[in-house]
Amino acid sequence: MSPAGIVLARRPRARRFLAGPGVPPGVAAAALFLGLVAVWVVAPGLAPHDPALIRPGDAYQGPSSAHLLGTDPLGRDVLSRLIDGARTAVLAPLALAAGTIAVSTTLAVLAGYLRGWVDAVISRVVDVLYSIPALMVAIVIVGVTGGGFGLSIIVLLVFGLPANVRVLRAAVMERAALPYVEAARTLGVSTPRIMLTQLVPAIGPLVITSFFLQITFAIVDLSSLSFLGLGVPPGASDWGRMMAENRATMSANFFSTAAPGLCLAAVAVSANVLGDWLYTRYEQAGRSR
Amino acid sequence: MSTTGNEAARDTAGPATSDRAAAAHRRGGRSPALRMLATRSVGAVAVLLAVTVVVFLFVHLAPGGPEQALAGREATPEQLAAIRARYGLDDPLWQQYLRYLGALTHLDLGTSLLRREPVTRSIGQAAGVTAPLVLISWLLAAVAGTALGMFTALRAGSRLDRVVLALTVLAASTPVFATGLLLAWVFGIQLDWLPVLGAGRDGGDRARYLVLPILTTTLVLLASSTRFARVRIGQILEEDQVTFARARGLSTSYVLVRIVLRNAAVQTITLSGAVLIAMLGGLVVVEQVFALPGLGTLLVTAIGARDIPVIQGVTLVVAVAVVVVNLVVDLLCLAVDPRMRRGLEVDR
Repeated sequence: MSPAGIVLARRPRARRFLAGPGVPPGVAAAALFLGLVAVWVVAPGLAPHDPALIRPGDAYQGPSSAHLLGTDPLGRDVLSRLIDGARTAVLAPLALAAGTIAVSTTLAVLAGYLRGWVDAVISRVVDVLYSIPALMVAIVIVGVTGGGFGLSIIVLLVFGLPANVRVLRAAVMERAALPYVEAARTLGVSTPRIMLTQLVPAIGPLVITSFFLQITFAIVDLSSLSFLGLGVPPGASDWGRMMAENRATMSANFFSTAAPGLCLAAVAVSANVLGDWLYTRYEQAGRSR
Repeated sequence: MSTTGNEAARDTAGPATSDRAAAAHRRGGRSPALRMLATRSVGAVAVLLAVTVVVFLFVHLAPGGPEQALAGREATPEQLAAIRARYGLDDPLWQQYLRYLGALTHLDLGTSLLRREPVTRSIGQAAGVTAPLVLISWLLAAVAGTALGMFTALRAGSRLDRVVLALTVLAASTPVFATGLLLAWVFGIQLDWLPVLGAGRDGGDRARYLVLPILTTTLVLLASSTRFARVRIGQILEEDQVTFARARGLSTSYVLVRIVLRNAAVQTITLSGAVLIAMLGGLVVVEQVFALPGLGTLLVTAIGARDIPVIQGVTLVVAVAVVVVNLVVDLLCLAVDPRMRRGLEVDR
């Protein structure tokens, strides 16, 4: 039995899942940072300058009161580009992770509850996908077709499925064998209804946890693609792209490269820390019963 | 790079045998190990054939169609027509595919449009940079990861354990180019110890240029392998067999090597294979960060120049590498675990 399985054999107390004493400082910091980035996402107007305004006369400047993080080789304000880039840096991985987890959950519930040939087909496909290097495939496919950001998201979504389907399917199988699911069946509840009202909520906490961890992978993969110049259009103030464009002039303005790098790492680490913490709390909630 | 310790932590199960495999074993027959090897080899060939179909279709997927992909962007209509005739692009697809496959059996990957040389030569040169980078990083990460995992598992809950755990989360979540740029900045620019761009000339010079890329790749791989080893070894240490071995008065080194390491071996090998495969995309990024003329850079340059034959060639090489890694993992598992040699199914 997998650890997830052991956990899921018992129903966690939903109410105590999030609220409770003892939030570690690392988790608080992660939440705080994600909050800041969320503000950047909803209010790009906070940027002190126009992020796309090219002013060659101001190029290569270090931090000053006019430009808090200095300027890039084209004289654009780094802080403004950082704030403007938060949308692609955060929303795209968010959408990608949400999509991956939604499809994974659907497949996992279908495979874990229906079993039989449905399970066989899904598990086989998942096994095959598991041994394919996702980012490599994304690089090649986006590169060959010249497809844009949307295509890279679809490719990464498909290859993000295997790990999640495996974990969630194991969880569904544990739950499907429990008396309350059998009771629902005996009462004549339809199969789709059992899936939606019994099984999906039962694995809900694990779904949320997987979502947070998936955000980390999504950020790493998507930003790697934009670092390579694939996906996001040129000129966009994407964090990965900023690093690729500014790294040659790192000695002139260290922050033009370091700031987007730090932000990327901080967002990815924060999502990972939150996901891990949620999972541990979830595990403890299950055990405490 | 989607395989990190998180997954491993959630996805690890203890060894279990399947009744079906045991029954198959009792029925006898030839060596189960050989049979498994035969199935895997057939599977590998099937996968490679499937990959050749996809790679063949690249030409037709490219914007502007196959003739433009082969002739380059500036081709005139007459040149395009000549290309269509020369490569038989008006033939049915399956005939074109068979021709492509025929060329492949001669190891003919076509000619690079950008470099005007056989693709095999470009790939051969690039592999001379990429192969040491991959192999050394992989080996370092596997050995150091297992050692670190065991070291921390033995001190579970200690400050060291928590620090290492935090570092693995940090290293696994940070995009590889950010790690690489940080290392390049610290060791290459600030301290000026090591070169950061290019691959240098041959021999010892090349080795100096490869230090930072190897360090970057190893750090990322190390995060997954340490986390996984920590979880798996922690599980084994809690098993009755370890308690019992200690009760019998067996030395710590005996317990660690003969019991813990042997039990963790199959999963460790399988995971290090999976991590290596997942890392291939990251390698492209690492090569870009350090301007190494390896396979990744070859691929990225080819993508930028729409050099389809090179993209096809690199993709094929990567596919072969993935298949070979999977086969080697299977073989190593067979060599390490007697249960698998006897055809008993082991949960990996």
